[in-house]
Amino acid sequence: MIDLIPRYWYNIVPDLNRPLPPPLDPEDSDFSRIELLNRIIPKEVLRQQFTAERYVKIPDEVIELYSLAGRPTPLMRAKRLEELLDTPAKIYFKYEGATHSGSHKINTAIPQAYFAREEGVERVVTETGAGQWGTAVALSAALMKIKSTIFMVRVSYEQKPGRKTVMKLYGAEVYPSPSEITEYGKNELAKNSTNPGSLGIAMSEAIEYVIKNDYRYLIGSVLEVVLLHQSIIGLETIKQFELIGEEPEVLIGCVGGGSNFAGFAYPFIGSKIGSRYIAVSSSEIKKFSKGVYEYDFPDSAGLLPMLKMITLGKDYVPPPIYSGGLRYHGLAPTLSLMIKDKFIEWMEFSEKETYSAAKLFANAQGIIPAPESAHAISAAIKIAKEAKEKNEKKIIAFNLSGHGLLDLSYYQKMEAK
Amino acid sequence: MKKLLVSYITLGYPNENDYLKFVKNADDLGTDIFELGYPPNFAKYDGPLIRRSYLKVKSMYKNFSELILRTRKITRKKIIVLTYLENIQNNLDEFLGTIKSSGADGVLLPDLLIDFPENYFKYLNKISEKGLDTVIFVSPFVPDKIISDVYKFSSPFLYYGVRPTTGIVTPVNISSLLKRLKNLTDSRVVVGFGLKGLEEIKEALSAGADGIAIGSAYVEAFENNGLSSALDIVKQVRCILDDF
Repeated sequence: MIDLIPRYWYNIVPDLNRPLPPPLDPEDSDFSRIELLNRIIPKEVLRQQFTAERYVKIPDEVIELYSLAGRPTPLMRAKRLEELLDTPAKIYFKYEGATHSGSHKINTAIPQAYFAREEGVERVVTETGAGQWGTAVALSAALMKIKSTIFMVRVSYEQKPGRKTVMKLYGAEVYPSPSEITEYGKNELAKNSTNPGSLGIAMSEAIEYVIKNDYRYLIGSVLEVVLLHQSIIGLETIKQFELIGEEPEVLIGCVGGGSNFAGFAYPFIGSKIGSRYIAVSSSEIKKFSKGVYEYDFPDSAGLLPMLKMITLGKDYVPPPIYSGGLRYHGLAPTLSLMIKDKFIEWMEFSEKETYSAAKLFANAQGIIPAPESAHAISAAIKIAKEAKEKNEKKIIAFNLSGHGLLDLSYYQKMEAK
Repeated sequence: MKKLLVSYITLGYPNENDYLKFVKNADDLGTDIFELGYPPNFAKYDGPLIRRSYLKVKSMYKNFSELILRTRKITRKKIIVLTYLENIQNNLDEFLGTIKSSGADGVLLPDLLIDFPENYFKYLNKISEKGLDTVIFVSPFVPDKIISDVYKFSSPFLYYGVRPTTGIVTPVNISSLLKRLKNLTDSRVVVGFGLKGLEEIKEALSAGADGIAIGSAYVEAFENNGLSSALDIVKQVRCILDDF
């Protein structure tokens, strides 16, 4: 099975249709945020962030740990869902929930923690929204025998006690964000003591904590290096489709910062497989319908360089929907560029719609999806229904980025509605 | 073939006297091509050193074309004017005409491919109609297809910025970046943007660079120790280039 794990990650930058606007230091800046990255991000991770290589070799130890963590993940056909929808389309999904951390996040947490350990870092720090990323970092740090600290968005910290328990079990220190641990957190709390938090705020706290203590920060999405590591999903899926002799036409994934979608879809784009690529977000967040394409900070504090991306503004505090992984103001620059160029399509679904899709999927296939991933399911169902209307035997594939077994409070709440 | 030394200096920096002395001496010490920074409103793809140098000269001079003219009088080497298309797009003809008549041989617009992806060929044509060369700026952020499409229009060399901004060091693998670029072009490639130290210059040359562009290092030397220190860098780099 380990043979199915690719030996190289795929970087889409050399294959884009136009240049990617580079990271930027703002005009009124008295220091270089690009330079500051050297004190925030492990060196090799930063090198990979700025590479022009199309294929980047995966270290052997990372491949072994991918295998330990549950890779390759299965590619499954949602045959019962097809029957329930009575569609001529075939629906496949890549099941990233089958990893031990329960989501795709482990795919980049392992290499980032590996590169941090290789340069002698004693503690890695990050933020987490829904908890999947924090869990992946806590596990990866444990595998590397280094320490971890996680700033967890307060609303998720309170709504998802199970995630907190898992992270602590893996040995992580977990703080609700905004917290009293950092100056940024203290200021946010002074402004609003009931601030539900956001990924942008938690990210700012984690970065401040790293700079103050000379730890290193692991980044969960948005930066190209994360999308590079996540390409393992799509590269594996391409091999799996080859084995069954099929080729998908429509590729779908949900989008927070963009890494699970990109990790799944980019290798297909690079291999010129597929004709439609659909990124799905939440209609409560409205990233696509309301976001603008411009330079903005990926973190609320503005400690990272500005990136040209589709953004709702760095100070945007998203509504407290349960899909914590989608509660983020920005979007990976390569994905933003391709959405702006209309090469990649987008859709938005409400919490209510995605709940129905999740329930339908759980009953058809037995898997309880993460609420974020249910957005991808909603889009797959929509396309399958369109295929029925047009009587097209389309092949649809979506990324089921995580399971929802630690999101039961979400299901309880939605059930009660 | 002789390796190129491209010396960047902001027009009139740090003062007119030292600036002209720098050009004169850097020419004598083996600079092949001068790249002169014409201050834009916002040098967005430049690092803090170059940005500071622009701020300084903007407060000192009104007429930068006049400075190009004075530069032309003391050097016969090629003069490439670096500025941002964003600032000159609305009066492009006038700008190109003025710098041409001041003695410039070409322009380098770092934002051309990045911010004008739909119509950069239109601008390349306009520049060429005015009898000026364009040095095209490419980086690891420029896709293969674009590099293949444009490199032929870059003259007298293709500029490869290996880091995201000038004068700021981030970890990069210069050899692998250059190897990829050399597979896409047969132009002469000059490497710049954040090259740090003589070792990196040697690494770039070993990996096939046809020349090296130095800029932030001069500005930093001027800031810290003045003219002679900036000229020492010219000597050192020329020496390395001649050893290859």
